[in-house]
Amino acid sequence: MEQKLKFVNILKEKNLQRPAHGLKAFEYSYPAEITNIYPMTENERLYQIKIRDEEERNSFSFKPGQFVMFEVPGIGEAPFSISSSSVRKGVFDLCIRHIGNLTNFLSQVKLGMRVGISGPFGSSFPIEDMVGQNILLIAGGLGIVPLRAPILSVLENRSRYRKVDIIYGAKKPRELLYTYEYEMWKKFDISLNIIVDQADETWQGDTGLITKPLAARIAGAGPAFSTNSYAIVCGPPVMYKFVCKLLIEAGVPARKIFVSLERRMHCGRGKCCRCNIGSTYTCLDGPVFDYWSVMNLKEAI
Amino acid sequence: MAVTTTYLGVPLYRPKVAFFDFTSCEGCQLQVVNNEANLLDFLSLVEVVNFREAMTEKSNDYEIAFVEGSVTREDEVRRLQEIRKNAKILVAFGSCACFGGVNQLKNRFNDLDWVKKEVYGDCPVDTKEAMPLEKYVKVDLHIYGCPVKKEEVEKIVLNVALGKAVNLPKYPVCMECKANGNICLFDIGEPCLGPITRAGCNSWCTNNRFGCWGCRGPAEDANVAQWQKIMRQHNFSRERMLDRLECFGGFDHLIER
Amino acid sequence: MIFKTIKRDELANLYAKLAQHLIVGPVRKGLDKNNKAMYDFDRVDKFADLCLDYDTTKHSAKKYFLPFTETLCTFKIFKDSWHKKVDYNINEPIVMFGLHPCDINAFNKLDKVLLEGVYPTPYYAAKRKNIFIIGVDCQPQPWCFCRSMDTDTVLHGFDLFLTDLGDRYFIEINTATAYEILQQLDIQDPAPQDHQLFLQKTNEKADKFIASVDTTDLTKILDMEFQSPVWQEWGDRCLSCGTCANVCPTCYCYGVEEEVDLDLKNARKNKHSYSCNLIDFAEVAGGHNFRPESHTRLKYRYYHKHRGFVEAFEESLCVGCGRCGQACLADINVPEVIASVRQEKI
Repeated sequence: MEQKLKFVNILKEKNLQRPAHGLKAFEYSYPAEITNIYPMTENERLYQIKIRDEEERNSFSFKPGQFVMFEVPGIGEAPFSISSSSVRKGVFDLCIRHIGNLTNFLSQVKLGMRVGISGPFGSSFPIEDMVGQNILLIAGGLGIVPLRAPILSVLENRSRYRKVDIIYGAKKPRELLYTYEYEMWKKFDISLNIIVDQADETWQGDTGLITKPLAARIAGAGPAFSTNSYAIVCGPPVMYKFVCKLLIEAGVPARKIFVSLERRMHCGRGKCCRCNIGSTYTCLDGPVFDYWSVMNLKEAI
Repeated sequence: MAVTTTYLGVPLYRPKVAFFDFTSCEGCQLQVVNNEANLLDFLSLVEVVNFREAMTEKSNDYEIAFVEGSVTREDEVRRLQEIRKNAKILVAFGSCACFGGVNQLKNRFNDLDWVKKEVYGDCPVDTKEAMPLEKYVKVDLHIYGCPVKKEEVEKIVLNVALGKAVNLPKYPVCMECKANGNICLFDIGEPCLGPITRAGCNSWCTNNRFGCWGCRGPAEDANVAQWQKIMRQHNFSRERMLDRLECFGGFDHLIER
Repeated sequence: MIFKTIKRDELANLYAKLAQHLIVGPVRKGLDKNNKAMYDFDRVDKFADLCLDYDTTKHSAKKYFLPFTETLCTFKIFKDSWHKKVDYNINEPIVMFGLHPCDINAFNKLDKVLLEGVYPTPYYAAKRKNIFIIGVDCQPQPWCFCRSMDTDTVLHGFDLFLTDLGDRYFIEINTATAYEILQQLDIQDPAPQDHQLFLQKTNEKADKFIASVDTTDLTKILDMEFQSPVWQEWGDRCLSCGTCANVCPTCYCYGVEEEVDLDLKNARKNKHSYSCNLIDFAEVAGGHNFRPESHTRLKYRYYHKHRGFVEAFEESLCVGCGRCGQACLADINVPEVIASVRQEKI
């Protein structure tokens, strides 16, 4: 007589180390919809995403620096840093540049479009640890996108921090993002320094590389700068080298400098290995790393 | 701009397409006509306005031109240039259009007049060296293969309609061949161009224990020098090695001679 | 662990007991150019086809746990909305008859990241929990270096394990399911000399290894030799074809691609095994490639397997089966690569 092996339904199986709902969550995406589309530049638009189910919406919270996987069925799924305040539950902004499959399709969609969201994933900027300290938020190009969440977080609790600087560099004036918010940032006693690489005829501000205003800020700082400052840096790989070098030279400890790294991701859950740096998963251990960890990662920047 | 259909609320643009053939067996176009099961779905995505193999109507009002075949005559050059003028997107369709294909083997004879005499005898045809389309006009998109793989053509057309990028595999055939569970042909003493040929064919030939001849041309950054070394290590003659590399014309610029 | 013995002839009855399920095992795949038999894991239709004395298989058994292509979910597409359906793609238990210790250890290693990690993957879990594994002892081949990787023996991750003692097999029983099945067969309690013979076989096997890898301080050495010129030399040889990853029993990297049906009514998300040696493995949207040169990708492969995984799980992601070196047309193999990095020359 033949022996029939018992089929194990893993979603009911108690023997698995992780609870069944953990397995179920793996490919679950919150049904969500696009509730607002705000064009920011020629190539970037800000999408407001709302999780549709009220209960799911209320239980969805994230920390500044984390990302979500954003999915349009049949078109693609990709990671995006959340670019809005972490106070709101289940409603958030994604700033998206239209360069890939998913993002090109998005450039054509309209309000109400149904999308899938999973996450939030990854590490975050330790804003709580920065209380009572100076904060330098330094962004190059699209690097401002992951910084908007910590910026808003700082604004919401402005009195808890000392001097706050935003130093933001872009290639051209028309590539600047969140231009409509600059005045508000300034009203919260934030020193905003914007610099562009290639000025046009309308540009009144500073021209050059981002290291210029940063070097000036460091030069003008008092002796306590190295002990009472945190830095958050985000931008293209080449920017990290120069910016972090300046900060380290100014005495800011590597553990108090935070960067957000960009890598290709296909799962966001530490499985596909596409985002590995050396053998560290950017999706699990990052995208936010302190600079000490980055120095220990081969080929990180 | 004809809009007939939508995907998740986004209207899909239905482009006018035309198919043309130059020096070729017309087998690539046959692949398109061959997809009976979903031909109607395919036709709802594009409006075919010119396709000699499949229909009698003809129009020069098209946006995408699929061009099969290599260019071997002066009149073909002029016709191709005319197509280029009409088309927004010109697609090199199949190995002949992309690399010259099997036709370009004739270029390898020193004496083309002798070739003409051998082939055409007393009825000479005014032909010249077989060349890929790119020799004469700008090509926007390559669809490789001899013949093209219909599933890939469908996918490309669909992606164009959806506004998705057309991403052909950059890796070599080995990747697909191993995923298909095949035993390496070198193990059984057969030469194979799989390690350096662009994938996307789902290793059709090697699945049937027929070594790859490189119809899809080189994979991105193909390590041709190493492959040549491997052929020598496996005691394949220089002739057999060049036979493979030269067959479809895709490797011409990469061969270490 | 419970030990029993089973007569060689009785093994056919074990096979018959399980025959209503799909049985996968080592089967002959013809002869190579040197007239040597080749084997691979495949569906076994009758007991006689099962080659338990195989040397190795060309491919690992991972496709039954981690299919090269797998649909993760399907979507029904409506006018303005969609519905997602997830399927883990297994409905019936299957039997793997005749895995060597290295291949079982490979699954134990995969378990660490795919089953016990932060986000366990149900696609793997569902299959892993529904595969009945019968291990079988092996003879070291010239390319095997499992002993260096501590994977020449296996303690868990199987249902039962067979060691050839001549006219009978020594059985290690690891699960109640296996015990129940064996109870219905003609099995014996091992005699003292069976234990002795088992130990003797194990010791003999240990002496037969030819290839080896020195793993002493390997994680540190890899860190120190990150800029070593030997990587460039191996990279120059590499075909970036992904063969090593595809035949490897532990490589699990993948890519995901979504596609829409031609009729626009359905869509799906497909997972494809990928290899870190493929040119666009680390390319991001917009085109920047973090590892554009083949040697950086090859190096990454070694760092993931022999450094990063060790850091995370206290063990290497390599089981020393040697398949990658055997399959590589450019003769890139783990023992030589590691030795060259240690010696700073090829």
